[in-house]
Amino acid sequence: MDARNTQDLILAADVLVVGGGIAGLTAAISAKEADPAVSVLVVDKATCGFGGKANKGGGNLAFLEPDDDLDEMLRFRVEKVGSYLEDQELLRDFLSGTYGVLKRIETWGCTVFHDPDGAYVYVRYWEGHPWRMALCEQDITESMLRQAKKLGVKFVDHVSVVDILKDGDRAAGAVGFSIIDGRFYTFKTKAVILANGCQNYKLMRRWASGRGDGIAAAYRAGAEMRNAEFGSFINWVFADTKEVCQGAENVLYNAKGENISKAVRPKIEADLDSKEVVAWYKAMLAGDGPVYANMPENEIAAFSQKAFHSDGVAVRPITTAFWTRTIGKAMAASTKPGPMQEVFPGFIGEQSPVRVDHQMATTVPGLYAVGDIAAAGSAWAGAVPAPPGRMRGGGMMGAMWMAMRGGPAAAGYAATAGEPAVDAAQVEALKARMFAPLGRQGGIEPQEMVRAVQDVLSPVGNTIYKSDARLRDSLERILAIKGQLALLTADDPHHLAACNEVVSMVNSAEMFFVASLERKESRGWQIREDYPERDDAEWLKWVVLKDDGGEMKVWTEDVPIDRYPLKP
Amino acid sequence: MNRIELDFEACTGCGACFDSCFVNVFRWDDGAGKPVIAYVEDCVECNKCELACPVEAIRVIPDYAGVYWPPVI
Ligand SMILES: Cc1cc2nc3c(=O)[nH]c(=O)nc-3n(C[C@H](O)[C@H](O)[C@H](O)COP(=O)(O)OP(=O)(O)OC[C@H]3O[C@@H](n4cnc5c(N)ncnc54)[C@H](O)[C@@H]3O)c2cc1C
Ligand code: SF4
Ligand code: SF4
Repeated sequence: MDARNTQDLILAADVLVVGGGIAGLTAAISAKEADPAVSVLVVDKATCGFGGKANKGGGNLAFLEPDDDLDEMLRFRVEKVGSYLEDQELLRDFLSGTYGVLKRIETWGCTVFHDPDGAYVYVRYWEGHPWRMALCEQDITESMLRQAKKLGVKFVDHVSVVDILKDGDRAAGAVGFSIIDGRFYTFKTKAVILANGCQNYKLMRRWASGRGDGIAAAYRAGAEMRNAEFGSFINWVFADTKEVCQGAENVLYNAKGENISKAVRPKIEADLDSKEVVAWYKAMLAGDGPVYANMPENEIAAFSQKAFHSDGVAVRPITTAFWTRTIGKAMAASTKPGPMQEVFPGFIGEQSPVRVDHQMATTVPGLYAVGDIAAAGSAWAGAVPAPPGRMRGGGMMGAMWMAMRGGPAAAGYAATAGEPAVDAAQVEALKARMFAPLGRQGGIEPQEMVRAVQDVLSPVGNTIYKSDARLRDSLERILAIKGQLALLTADDPHHLAACNEVVSMVNSAEMFFVASLERKESRGWQIREDYPERDDAEWLKWVVLKDDGGEMKVWTEDVPIDRYPLKP
Repeated sequence: MNRIELDFEACTGCGACFDSCFVNVFRWDDGAGKPVIAYVEDCVECNKCELACPVEAIRVIPDYAGVYWPPVI
């Protein structure tokens, strides 16, 4: 069935925001607040205000009170988490801005919980944990949607944006199509803000709808990428339901009944790390599997249950209903209840490499990126998958903070930049490319290629415990899939969107393996079997990638550590 | 594969389920003024549609056992 609507549509605005999740909505509102004269259009491939992750998460927001010790938090982050790959200036700005973000979103109608004395209700994972987590409700993006509409922001739903239009070097808008009726959309705008999430490879259930479409669009438009090698986030999942087992990382036991977490995590840490995944891998290779999470010892699960998934700390009916329903159904379906639960590392990704500066500008003039899409690329988080960058509550907070910078910056750019010229031949070429799979005979369906990509990424030896040989082999397999992209076929616009997602996944995976091969050391989340040590003499560097006439060009840049307060 | 049960009698056609699905499982039947479960194979049991329905006309039945997972080692 070809349900294509052949009537093309051209929409114009000053600023186009791609993605109506928490980052996109925050960017749109703050662009309007900075300059009400600037017209702002938000487009989402699902429904603005309902897509994205923020309304399916824990709703905890990392922040520091104005009197908290910012230097201590910075030191913790840089030494224990990001391992000196942070842009320390940006990280400092971010951390010192978190309290202001909470105050500001409350003026937009978002619910953040307070004590009777007016202070923010917060939780910490343990005494002395260096940041606080405030709590919001899961309808946060719906509140933002209402506020944005009040300010005159316009919205388009169910349109998948595929490519950025260019006028010479600068961004001139974007093109995409309706996943409902296949109508082709051209957005003519002076500035574009990409807020369409990071790369999640469609494996972890319920996690996210981000498939790296924005990353791939930025890459094709010539934008630089940074920290792509850290895009291999995992969560522990129950073997029977594949539901996330929070806190398993602290209480892993091999089949002989030995605790394997203790050796690598003597103390409870704020978030998962790759080192316990390596411990799992070694136990499995040694024949000591399967590995279990000892649930009665799982303090994080118990804590989260109380603090985040119930009304234990703040009364949050929407959040509580969500977690009760989702976890409840999984628990009811569990085939092996009991204290020792078999778990394994479920690959996610969270690759977010679009490089942005302190104003969230990419290296393409007029193209901005905020939120999950650019969390690692901005370098606020350092050598870890970001978001949340091993900082629980840092995902939404990071997305909003970045968007409060990027929105006004893009509005400012649009106010002074002239009208871009949109070249008809360029539009036609992009349109032909994006529609090519529709109705292709005898091709490969997107889901088949998604599985092929997932088969490469899921094994821990390929993406968490890395080696030159395994990385090369994985890259080769991804390049073989890349060679087959021209065979993708779709029978309708819904599956056409899935085709574009596969193209984006392959692009992300290639970046991941190329960057991982380049970094010949272990640092933060990256663990190399063949280069097990951190090498500060050689590797205080960022790995940067860029499209160079169809080739993926890779180079390194020194982290300007001399300029930063903290040095190894 | 997950199953989604829709009670057409109870459904008021408010559209909340259609709006809440972040992976576009639903389409809309303009004639009937009701949702269509068009791509159930894409459902990832977030339950947002079920939670959004004001009249409990929709039920998501996850098939955890049927989830495909590639090798991890
Ligand atoms: C289970 C879970 C729990 C979490 N818990 C917390 C927490 O407690 N605290 C916290 O701070 N963070 C949490 N996070 C992380 C946080 O939710 C995210 O960091 C944040 O919501 C990211 O927002 P975003 O707008 O950048 O991206 P997203 O939320 O991914 O939004 C991207 C939007 O872009 C749209 N889109 C994608 N591709 C296209 C395209 N091609 N064209 C048009 N639109 C497109 C999508 O439909 C979506 O609406 C959690 C995440 C998960 C998955
Ligand atoms: S459960 Fe979630 S993914 Fe499944 S149809 Fe409902 S809203 Fe969509
Ligand atoms: S949310 Fe319920 S009542 Fe509304 S359209 Fe969907 S099924 Fe019908």
